[in-house]
Amino acid sequence: MSIVPHITPARLCGLFALVLFVLAVSGLQQVAPGDWPGAVFAPNPDNIRDILVHYSWLPRLFAALLGGAGLGLAGVLLQQTLRNPLASPTTLGVANGAQLTLLLATLFAPALLVHSRGLVAFAGGALAMGLVFALAWRRALAPAVTVLAGLVVNLYLGALSFVFILFNQEQLKGLMIWGAGALAQNNWGGVLYLAPRLGLGLAAAAVLARALAVLDLDDVNARNLGVSLKYVRAASLAVAVFVTACVVAQLGIIGFVGLAAPAIMRLAGARTLAARLCWAPVFGALLLAVTDQVLQHLTGASAALIPTGATTAVLGAPLLLWLIPRLALSRTTPPAQSADPEQRHAAPRRLIAWAGMLALAMAGIALLIGQGADGWTWPLVDAWADTGVWRLPRVLAAGAAGAMLALAGAVIQRVSGNPMASPEVLGITAGTGLGLLALIWFVPAAGTLGMLGAGTGGALITLGLLLAINARSGFAPERVLLTGISVMFLFSAVQRIVLAGNDPRTQAVLAWMWGSTYHVDLTTALVVSVIAAAMLLLTRPLAMWLDLLPLGMPTARSLGVDVTRSRLLLLGIVAVLTAAATLIVGPLSFVGLLAPHMARLLGLSRARDHMLGSVFVGALLMIAADWVGRQLLFPAEIPAGLVASLLGGAYFMWLLRRI
Amino acid sequence: MLVGARTAFAADPPRVATVDWAQAETLIALGVPPVGLGQMDAYRTWVGGELPDATRDIGLRVQPNMELLEQMDIDLFTLSPMYAALRDRVARVADVESVSIYYRGGDVWSNLEAGTRELGALVGRKTAADRLIADTTAHIERLAEQVPADTPPLLVVQFMDARHVRVFGRNSLFGAALNQLGIETAWTGETTLWGFALVPLERLAAIDDARVAVVEPLPVGVADTLSASVMWQHLPAVQAHDVMRLPASWGFGGLSSGERFARDVVRALNSDASPAGLSRALPATR
Repeated sequence: MSIVPHITPARLCGLFALVLFVLAVSGLQQVAPGDWPGAVFAPNPDNIRDILVHYSWLPRLFAALLGGAGLGLAGVLLQQTLRNPLASPTTLGVANGAQLTLLLATLFAPALLVHSRGLVAFAGGALAMGLVFALAWRRALAPAVTVLAGLVVNLYLGALSFVFILFNQEQLKGLMIWGAGALAQNNWGGVLYLAPRLGLGLAAAAVLARALAVLDLDDVNARNLGVSLKYVRAASLAVAVFVTACVVAQLGIIGFVGLAAPAIMRLAGARTLAARLCWAPVFGALLLAVTDQVLQHLTGASAALIPTGATTAVLGAPLLLWLIPRLALSRTTPPAQSADPEQRHAAPRRLIAWAGMLALAMAGIALLIGQGADGWTWPLVDAWADTGVWRLPRVLAAGAAGAMLALAGAVIQRVSGNPMASPEVLGITAGTGLGLLALIWFVPAAGTLGMLGAGTGGALITLGLLLAINARSGFAPERVLLTGISVMFLFSAVQRIVLAGNDPRTQAVLAWMWGSTYHVDLTTALVVSVIAAAMLLLTRPLAMWLDLLPLGMPTARSLGVDVTRSRLLLLGIVAVLTAAATLIVGPLSFVGLLAPHMARLLGLSRARDHMLGSVFVGALLMIAADWVGRQLLFPAEIPAGLVASLLGGAYFMWLLRRI
Repeated sequence: MLVGARTAFAADPPRVATVDWAQAETLIALGVPPVGLGQMDAYRTWVGGELPDATRDIGLRVQPNMELLEQMDIDLFTLSPMYAALRDRVARVADVESVSIYYRGGDVWSNLEAGTRELGALVGRKTAADRLIADTTAHIERLAEQVPADTPPLLVVQFMDARHVRVFGRNSLFGAALNQLGIETAWTGETTLWGFALVPLERLAAIDDARVAVVEPLPVGVADTLSASVMWQHLPAVQAHDVMRLPASWGFGGLSSGERFARDVVRALNSDASPAGLSRALPATR
């Protein structure tokens, strides 16, 4: 489905190659005016310009080309294997896994990094991927389950890393530069490391190509042809991970290229797998190299480092948004969740009452028990003035935020009939985070009110974007989710750039972004609680839509539901809920994904019960997360959103194994 | 600023807590060590120096533990504009005063002295503050006399990894200390509000008449990578002079950090350069 008929992969690559050539020549002339061919081929060791060209500029160019090619290759393999046009090397958690092990090594076993940095990164990437596989194995690595497992592992490893970064910012400053994909080189080591490994990956892909092409058929047909899908998929994923881990270990985390190169080549007319396998690495190489050259031209004299890997992701987000309406999704949509796999509970009311009571009990614990100047204390009447005034707003806000995220998650999961859907995935949490980030950066002394305003602004802009882009498709759930994922891409990229800049202000940004109830005052907490209650009441009458929409568009329509309008209204509600909750607990919690799942697994399957049950589970989770976060490393506090991710993520992985 | 209200403290020093390490360091030098300090362990690692036993950790610098502060009976909480978001909440448990050094622009060393005076006034130790400034000035003047006449401009860097450095300019703490010693700062490029720039190594190639001063700690493996790196070895500044290695200093600290840095620089300038047999470009010992 090419957009403009005369674009072909070869022509597009040719165009980029031309751009790269022009940029490279003009770049070379800046580094070494005059005799640059001499510098390239026969550097004079006494001339610093020659040295720069030969040992810094040139290896950097080649490293960018090799890295881009590797990611492009990995992207094709993953997209083909998972039958998901938006799969990418980072989907399986490889990058975040490598980041976590490198981080642990930096903090606890720095000696490991001297000679085996690549190995440490590879181990982390492989472990993360192994975890994803283990979680999805029972479902024969079914695409939807694998992607879901990857998402969860990614969020989980990311959250774990964040805890360490929050407390060890100075020690980890080098790793943050790596995490943003800075391509600077000062010898040929990186290139010599990457080249043979990329060659190996290409050879393996060539061997697998024929068997992989069968995956374009559906499972039944493919099996009839005698291809063991399980093993072909596993082998292909392993190659992709190997290549990704090599690139990541050497160059850092580079967003978007692995996703975009195959997708753009597909749109440009590379329809067969063989064509994509040929062209995507070429295009990936050119894409990364061009971006890097442009950045080198632009950042000339600036004081801040603008790393290439994160920048490609920032540039990629708008392109991704543009791509979404043009992707052929019908064929590649993950198979819908089976209509109602869980057993319906016999007495849902009683179950909901239990959940509500548990949430209340947790709130009581969080209000009355905690550590103080003299260690653990039990409630005393006069202690309330010391502690209660600080705890009440936090417990209230955490509960309300958890409830709102859970409700938003329940609604979006039902509207889309997709188990991966959650307010986090919708991108509104990320939009809110971007708003906060901009404020902290440009208005250094902003107060709580300013932060609330900026966060809401970010959420509204994201919502507007979401609506504008998806209006034409009638808010098809898959496309709405993809829009959200693009915004998340943008957010995580900006976050990486901020981290790499390693400005002393970073810690404040991190603490806010990762969802702390620290800055909530009683007024805010009450307002948020009222919003939560109002939205819950508002969604009660809409339960009928939520019972019918998961049955699919034709069924719902034939039963008299105005699908487009109902989806629009429900998405609007989700947006408001999410924005309000994100201001309190940050963009990264799992609660919106988790609570509705747990409620459903408990047997709450009718929309009305499902929503109410989710609300209580969500409140319980978030209050518990906030309390644990405040006690675990007392007097330091771990943001509630982070703890929720860690508690919830562990449970979710255990759960996934049993689906 | 509200100085009159605090004269009562002159006899009995107030219980002060702070989240800003530069201010903590200054308070200790003034003889009023903070009773509460954000991220104490990290402070010991990065700023160094003795902390009294009575000092308590109050949690992350951006989010000091409010319940704990409430129970600690704090008289005064000092912060810098970077932590302005804390003001309203902390104001509920203690008086809050903001002292600004790095955010205000202008000459960093004068800002350091002004900040020290402000802090001294806030804790009722005006004379101690004046004495600290006078002592530091005198010490630096003595140090300045020991600076060799042929000292080239110094390029002060701190390695982030083997490919990137923080390079400190004139409006950083290090640059200000060098200026007091009468030494030029080699980096004249753009810097952030804190006076440093984060750049890849090749950007240092443009600086030729300078001596490189590496502030520790050096991340693991960097020394090996550098001694094998043709580009590093050929950087004009590395070629021109022996690389100087300085013990760790907190680059965003107060007067005491600046003084310590100046002392270390002068000591390094006067010690014999690299021992024989080790890489000329990056001596492994100092």
